[in-house]
Order: sequence, then structure tokens, then C-alpha cells
Amino acid sequence: MIATSVSHYPKVGNGPGRQRLRQAIAQLDKGAIDRAALDRVADEVTAEVIQEQERAGLDLVTDGQIRWQDPVTYIAGRLEGFELHGLLRWFETNTYYRQPVATGPITWKEPILVRDFLYAREHASSPVKAVLTGPYTIGTLSETRHHQSRRDFVLELAGALNQELKALAEEGPAWIQIDEPAMARNPSVRYPRDFELFGEAMYRLTEGVNQQSRLSLYIYHGDVADYPQVADLPFALIGLDLVQGAANWDLVGSWPDSKAIGLGAVDARNVRLEDPDEVARRIAAVAAREIHVSPSCGLEFLPRETAFQKLELVARAAHAVEART
Amino acid sequence: MNETAQGLRTTSVGSLPKPDYLLHARAQRARNEISQEELDELSRRATQEWIRFQEEIGVDIVVDGEMYRGDMVAYFAENLEGMGISGLVRSYGNRYYKKPIATGDIRRPAPITVDWWKFAQSLTEKPVKGMLTGPYTIADWSFDNHYGSRRDLVMALAEVVRQEAQDLEQAGAEYLQIDEPAVSTRLDELDLVIESMAVVTSGLRAHTITHMCYGRFEEVYPRLLDIPVDQIDLEMANSGLELLEKFGAHPFTKAIGFGVVDVHTHKIESVDEVKKNIRRALDYLRPDQVFIDPDCGLKTRTVDEAKAKLRTIQQARDEVRSELVRA
Repeated sequence: MIATSVSHYPKVGNGPGRQRLRQAIAQLDKGAIDRAALDRVADEVTAEVIQEQERAGLDLVTDGQIRWQDPVTYIAGRLEGFELHGLLRWFETNTYYRQPVATGPITWKEPILVRDFLYAREHASSPVKAVLTGPYTIGTLSETRHHQSRRDFVLELAGALNQELKALAEEGPAWIQIDEPAMARNPSVRYPRDFELFGEAMYRLTEGVNQQSRLSLYIYHGDVADYPQVADLPFALIGLDLVQGAANWDLVGSWPDSKAIGLGAVDARNVRLEDPDEVARRIAAVAAREIHVSPSCGLEFLPRETAFQKLELVARAAHAVEART
Repeated sequence: MNETAQGLRTTSVGSLPKPDYLLHARAQRARNEISQEELDELSRRATQEWIRFQEEIGVDIVVDGEMYRGDMVAYFAENLEGMGISGLVRSYGNRYYKKPIATGDIRRPAPITVDWWKFAQSLTEKPVKGMLTGPYTIADWSFDNHYGSRRDLVMALAEVVRQEAQDLEQAGAEYLQIDEPAVSTRLDELDLVIESMAVVTSGLRAHTITHMCYGRFEEVYPRLLDIPVDQIDLEMANSGLELLEKFGAHPFTKAIGFGVVDVHTHKIESVDEVKKNIRRALDYLRPDQVFIDPDCGLKTRTVDEAKAKLRTIQQARDEVRSELVRA
């Protein structure tokens, strides 16, 4: 049983010296420091949050997406064909993303996450997973002024990100994770969900990617209990949100033995700390062959100190179950 | 006055920009460089200036501008027992805020806004609106480390907001606004909003209002009318057209606060633009049903921008009114 985080991690903390990144960005805005100086601070904070995840007891970490402004901009902003427009709400949270607008064909021009992955691996003692937001979510949260249909748009995005996956796979991360929250059923947002298009996009995305790295798909901010075919998609592991998407427990009960599962079993959006024994009890009942345990989604919705406690809880529960089996 | 002349009353949604001296003083207070009394004195001065301005231009129902409040949720959280403030959480870019957190049984140890309301009302003959943040919004914008269910947290907050609303009414408030901007994010929880608002407004004789920011309200219309308030205040300047069209098939049965200027832009709308927005309302609504105001709180604008927008609203209203009387 592997304890892991999902995607982002708080960029600043509340003690002295824990707001360096926030201060550096403010200084950059005032022209007091240059971009290179900011990048150095972002690197330092990245190393810090990697170590923090390891200290919490995780077996598999992310780079915390410290350099990301939001889950969409960092990827879409570096593909050819997008402009970045106004702020929109990220699902029903109190956080925002900048909406990409496609004004031409979407193409991949250069590696987006490779450098970040290499930096993270260099500063981690545990394996690092590379995480990127998937084409279906970017397509759903963006607008296009160029494509004939949503289908054309999403599939073109999938093709562009397929090249990113291939570039990442060259470096051989243990895991490459695709995040597709827009595929979750969430009564508050009601983004149009298109199962057929989603499946097609996932095949296009993963086509021909070097299988040295294992691929995973995480869907959070809701459930996919009405979409059991998710288990058949071309990924080694599917990660499910079991807090906001509590209906996912139905899927977990009938999970195919051949497929690994990610259990987002600890609430990443509220500060209340679950009882680790209760979490352990629930995940111990899952029969799947290979299990990753994590918070329900990225942790940037929480203050840094609570995020750390949530990861400790995940690790403690996962390792307690592991020790028993 | 005939019905037409009485209608189209003007007001504000609630917050107004704080003058520079007050922003400066609040920063000083945060660093403990001045006392709370010194800060309160400056908050009173700013309140007085805004009340005088609204009177001068002829606003019908005035607001105190919330000079003494910071964030609309944190302000109440700081004054309630069983609520605290968490560490920093990022909202976007380099913006962080301290999110409130329910830590225990929520109680209101003392009235929160009543003295400020009394002070504002003492400065004017015009009615001053009592301004509260609704239980659903306080809950949705807070962490819950105590109740364990959204409904329980919302209903506990409804009880303390009810107490505050009753105290404001007792002090003489004729208009009570209970803001629920979080509703638009989660229209699937409209039932909970209705249930909690019923607790807040039951037994009140004052004219009750709820303000909500832009959402796809057309999807929950006419269920929206079941929120137990006398008036629903909506952003209608740059949106709301689809909702308005629904009023044709199912009449809007309450009073409406009809936002006619955008609060997110520095640009000052022309009087003609605002008149067009007001006339749009009159295609579906009677003048006495309609209260004219900005789309939302003006606190993110500069003092000059906010004043210019309020003046424009007033002039547009006056012109539409006299055109109605002539017609």
C-alpha cells in the first residue's frame, strides 16, 4: 500500500520564514527582483515541500506544483494556440483559474514539465510522480474560437499532451498522473460530461507512450459511480475521490482485480482531521491488488500546517494496513 | 406621491470603498501601532462621510458602507463564539486569506453590528439598511472542525444571524439585508438556503432582502422565489438577461434589487446605459417592485469611482422617473 499526495501543496506556511515565495512574487511585481531570483525561490520551496511530504511519511511524492498559478494555466499557457483570459471559479471552490481561449490550432511546442520533474527527482529521496492536468479538463474549462466542435478541440489537446507524456516518459518517472476533475459528477457545477469523448481522449493521450513509466488517472471533486467503464481505460491505476465523491465506494466494491486503485480517502478540503484508525479500517476493506492512498484531491485548499497533518494521517493509515497484511 | 413616483428607490448593496486614511489606519492597527479606539474613531469619520454623500445625491435607502469591517465572513466569525480563523489559504495568484473555521458550538456572545447601525442611523433621517452575512455563505466560506455536516453548521449559524437580525429590528432598522453570495456557486443547495433563511427572517417585520452574486438563477427559477425574504437583490447590469426573460412566463412576485452598474470595472457607465438597464427591468416589473443599485458591493473600486457610479445611478433613476410621470 503506497501513501501519496494527489497534486498541489500549499505554497506558503504560517510561521516565520515560511512566506518566502509570496514575498518574492510581490517583489517581482514591484520590480525589486528579477524572474531568475523568483525561480530560485520557487525551486527552494519545491525542495522544501518535497521533503515535507517525505517527512509526513509518503512513499510517492509530487513537486507540490509550487510554480503553478492554477491547474490550467501552467499547462495551457505553454501550448501553442491559447491566450489566457479572465478569472473563473475552479469548480465550486473559493479558488480561481485563468480561462484559456484557443485562437488557433493547439500544438505542443516544447516540454512543459520535464525540467520540473528532473528538479523534483534530484531533490527527493522517494520516487516522484509527474502530474499534469488532462485534455478533457483543460478543454472543458477553456473556450475555443477556432475549433468546429468540442470534440475536435479536446482531441487536438489530447494529441498535444500526448507529446508531453512522451517527453516525460523519456525521463522514466515511476508514475505519470493525469488529472481529470471535469469528468467527476459534481451537482454544484454540472459541466457537460461526455463519456465517449472522454474515453477517446484518454486513448489519444496515452497512445504510444513508453510503458517504462506507469500511467495513472485521477478524477476528483466528485464521483464517477455512473461511469464504471473508467476502470477499463488505458491506465495502470485509477484514483478516486472518496470524500466529495462518496458514491465512488460503490465502484471500489466491484473494482477489477487487474487494475490498481487510488483511494482519496482523507478530506483535502476541510481542516477536520479524520481518525486514522477509521481511515485504516475503511481502506483495509478494499480488496484491490494494488492500492495507493491519498487525500481526496490536491492540498492547496488547506493551510500548510493542516496539509502536512493530512499527509501524516494518510501515511499512518496506509502503513497501519500494510503492517497488518 | 403616486405609485410611479414612489417606485425605483435607490440604494447600495452594502460595502463602499474605504478612504486612504482608513486603509492606512487599519494597516497600523494590524501592526498594533494604534489602538482599537483610534481606529474606530476613523471608521466613524468615514461612515459619516459616506452617509453625507448618499444624502447629498438623494439615495433613498442608505448604507453605512461597512467601514469597520474587513472581510464579510471573517468579520462575523471573529465576533462569534465557536468560530476562529485558520492559517493562510491561497485564492488566486499571490492572494491569500485567512479562512474562518468552526471550532465549537456557535454562539453570539453579544450583538455584533447593532451599535454601528445605531451610529449610522443617528446621522440621517433616511433609513439605514442593516447588513448581515447569511448563514449559508458564512458556512460555505469556512472550514468545519466541529459540526461534521454542512446542514448542521448552516443551521447553527442561522440561529445567531437570526438573533442579530432581531436586535437590529429592535433598534429600529426598517430594512435588513442578509447577503448570500455563496448561493450562486451551489445552486444544488438552494433548499438549504431556503431552510436557513426561514430561521433568520421568521417573525421579522422589517423589509428583508438577500443579495446574491451572478449565477445561473434562471435554472432554479421560480424556485428562487421561495427564499423567505421580501426582496432579492441581483447583478443585472452585465448579465441576468435569461433570468429576466423568465419573468414573462412566471412573474417575479417579490421586490427586486436590480443591479445596474458593473462593480468590477473602472469605467463609469453613461447615464444612458444605466437608464437602458432600468427600463429593461420595467419591461417585466412594476416600478414599486424595483430597487435600483450597483451589481454588488463597491468596496473594490476607488472612492471616486464609487461616487461617480452612485451619482450616475441617481441621475439615471431621476430621469427615468420623470419620464414615467410625463408618460
